Amino acid sequence: MNETAEKRVIRMSSDNAQVKTPAAPAVAARDKVVIKNLNFYYGGSKALKDVTLSLRAGKVTAFIGPSGCGKSTLLRVLNRMYDLYPNQRAEGQVLLDGEDVLAPDLDLNLLRARVGMVFQKPTPFPMSIYDNIAFGIRLYEKLPKSELDERVESALRRSALWDEVKDKLSASGLSLSGGQQQRLCIARTVAISPEVILFDEPCSALDPISTAKVEELIDELSDDYTIAIVTHSMQQAARVSQFTAFMYLGEMLEFDDTNKVFTSPRDKRTQDYITGRFG
Amino acid sequence: MANLYPGRKRRNAIWTVLAYAATAFGLLWLGLILGALIWNGVGGLSLDVFTKMTAPPGVVGGLLNSIVGSLIVTAIGLAISAPLGILAGTYLAEYGRYGKLANVIRFVNDILLSAPSIVVGLFVYQFCVVPFGHFSALAGGVALAVISTPIIVRTTEDMLSLVPNTLREAASSLGMPRSLVIQQVAYRAVRSGLITGILLAIARMTGETAPLIFTELGNSLFTADPTGPMSSLPLIIYEFARSPYPEQQKLAWTGALIVTAAVLSLSIFARVMSAQRGAGK
Repeated sequence: MNETAEKRVIRMSSDNAQVKTPAAPAVAARDKVVIKNLNFYYGGSKALKDVTLSLRAGKVTAFIGPSGCGKSTLLRVLNRMYDLYPNQRAEGQVLLDGEDVLAPDLDLNLLRARVGMVFQKPTPFPMSIYDNIAFGIRLYEKLPKSELDERVESALRRSALWDEVKDKLSASGLSLSGGQQQRLCIARTVAISPEVILFDEPCSALDPISTAKVEELIDELSDDYTIAIVTHSMQQAARVSQFTAFMYLGEMLEFDDTNKVFTSPRDKRTQDYITGRFG
Repeated sequence: MANLYPGRKRRNAIWTVLAYAATAFGLLWLGLILGALIWNGVGGLSLDVFTKMTAPPGVVGGLLNSIVGSLIVTAIGLAISAPLGILAGTYLAEYGRYGKLANVIRFVNDILLSAPSIVVGLFVYQFCVVPFGHFSALAGGVALAVISTPIIVRTTEDMLSLVPNTLREAASSLGMPRSLVIQQVAYRAVRSGLITGILLAIARMTGETAPLIFTELGNSLFTADPTGPMSSLPLIIYEFARSPYPEQQKLAWTGALIVTAAVLSLSIFARVMSAQRGAGK
């Protein structure tokens, strides 16, 4: 894996030898999520240090870095998932379309309806495939049966699962294979039409074929959604994202066009990581 | 090394034999109890047992009023303890999980779990019998609820703790409010476990005698009025077993057989349910 990453870097470097200065913080109008000087604490230990970056609307931003560098933590700030646990707090500024995500009086349920999340481990609910999708829709809309059916079907089609499950919609979501379960979870997230989707290592529990399907899906979804993905696979980051952020020990060392990060990283540590020298 | 091996092998054999012997010893007593119950109780089983009331010596009687009484008082107990136990268990596992209060409640609940049932009976006598001036099935139900609530609290908390946090996070990530996450996702994920806890609580209540002596008292007549004294299987077993009349002693054996069969089948049913849950996943 590391070898291929290196080859890729070498191959890409030859096309793009010129090291450019990193792009200035993205143009405000196209930024869906703006993060400024974000610090995050697990009790007394600091997990994120002054992180500043923006997620472009309609683009895929990948977060890479060694385990424990704070990628997942950063993702969990964007939908305030950390709020489920005590002694975890975030300081700084996170704006979703200009609205303060960290505001204490923010309605978390509405925030999470706008910022969906797909987890590392597939987590279908203990109910039928149909209900797994319909459940989220029913939280926000009261639809007649026929319309609900349509919404469920379109969500399953979007996540490329429809053909595999259309004859067994009443079967338990737990009866599906791991890859299918993950696509069911994506369908469930897409069904409530969020604006941003966070993927937290969505393929780390999947086989290569399922991984390919999920990546394809992320690519398609990026037309309509702003996407952030945490991944341990540098090839995956290179394949699916337009922007890449490299994180290390809670700091964001580098954030730029994916091409630039992989071909001409500014920081020595980024280069060492993507060429497989550590991590 | 080679000279140590035979000794180790011998010690292993000795411990294996001891473990088997202890198991056999325990099972022997269970077998003897069941055997005695069946030996003495089956002979008394007849239609009369289920159709006639308990009777004075010399009259052919049955256990109908006691069986119905047992069902009613257990139902009262369950009606109180099931909602209370599930809600308290939910608090411990979901809302209070990281708080100090939950630790205190958990500790108190564990004490209550092992509280002597006679003490519970006396307590409820003080609070539900003395103020009203008479014994009642309601008071009996309250006493049984005090005994079974901690069981349900415990099983509910244990079961909900098995729900992975990732599932809660996934549900929350859809913008599902906390209460819905618990009701629709967490409860569903461990439904059979929750039911198992309730079944075990019913089994426990069915066999309790001491708390009923001070509260329900017993009644030789058929009654479905929970505000007055009522008969109950454990009470009638207690009464008839001490009777000098052989026909009453025989009925006590039969009653004991019925209670044991009910508790045993509930327990087995509960185990089968939790086993199926294990296999279904």
